[in-house]
Amino acid sequence: MGAFATLAPPYNMPATAGGDTLLNDTSEARARALNRFLAGIELKAYKIAQAGLRHEDDALDAVQDAMLQLARAYADRPEEEWKPLFYRILENRIRDMQRRRTVRGRVMAWLPFRRDEDDEDADPIAQAPSHEMPAVARLEIDEAMTALDAALEELPHRQRQAFLLRNLEGLDVAQTAQAMGCSEGSVKTHYFRALQSLRVKLGDFEQ
Amino acid sequence: MNAGEGGSERTTLLQSGLEIRSRLVLEEGLSRIDAHTRSRLNQARQAAVTAAAGRSRLAWLRGAWLRQALMPATGATAAAALVAAFVLGGGGHQLTTQVADNPASTLDVLELVTDDDAMNLVEDYDSSFYEWAAAQTDAGGATT
Repeated sequence: MGAFATLAPPYNMPATAGGDTLLNDTSEARARALNRFLAGIELKAYKIAQAGLRHEDDALDAVQDAMLQLARAYADRPEEEWKPLFYRILENRIRDMQRRRTVRGRVMAWLPFRRDEDDEDADPIAQAPSHEMPAVARLEIDEAMTALDAALEELPHRQRQAFLLRNLEGLDVAQTAQAMGCSEGSVKTHYFRALQSLRVKLGDFEQ
Repeated sequence: MNAGEGGSERTTLLQSGLEIRSRLVLEEGLSRIDAHTRSRLNQARQAAVTAAAGRSRLAWLRGAWLRQALMPATGATAAAALVAAFVLGGGGHQLTTQVADNPASTLDVLELVTDDDAMNLVEDYDSSFYEWAAAQTDAGGATT
């Protein structure tokens, strides 16, 4: 047994040489860039996921999964590719969850003793808004937000995604097409139809 | 036509107004996302960054191991390829006759090909020098 202790490793790994320093520098820079990128999009991504799923926990799960998948599979890709890739992953995740929810809903409908997950009491502290503003302005914004949310909810999924990716996230047509997995012409069509529907539903919203 | 163009411009302006207003409302909605959700998003982000860092370290270690493990194998493969090329090429006939005369010469050739120093000598072979040296020897032999 003692002989094994004296055996040298088969190959000398340059673990503490300059290569390791280089690794640390590059990977740390990459990690910082990824952290910065994710911090910049996480709220918008959550909002987009929530608009698609209409459920806070599901939206959080979808964003978390998309972040992890981007980090594991595409972190070494150029930074300018991250945003459309991330939203493509998120879009796929949202659709998976929507399909799963449909199946689960059908199954649950057959069960005699089912419990609605939405019946849980919300934590009032957690639900508290993170900032304050004058009451009148807040009320006005509240009304606009409620109206916009309702109008967005009524849009078909693809139109809503095109609208949010273009208008909230600020992706251009090509990036939106990449994120949605369709042609640029389709993006323009979805976006135009979304705007038309919102105009009809929101009326004087734009004044 | 003019009315149509005017209508189109007006529509564009109205759409722009809608887009601007809805963007403002949506961004206001972002600022109202509660602290609990922000905290969970932050945790998700940290987990993703950690996963990316772990992945890059693993990839580097795997690459380093492959470099260390495959380098000798690559060298041996290249040497074998050189021997095969020598046998199948122009030197094949000479080699087979040499092998017939002296089987140990195969090992000499193999050693020559696989030995780095020997290959360096072959690569640094300066024919003009040897021709000059031979001429000097012949000249010396002739004079003596």
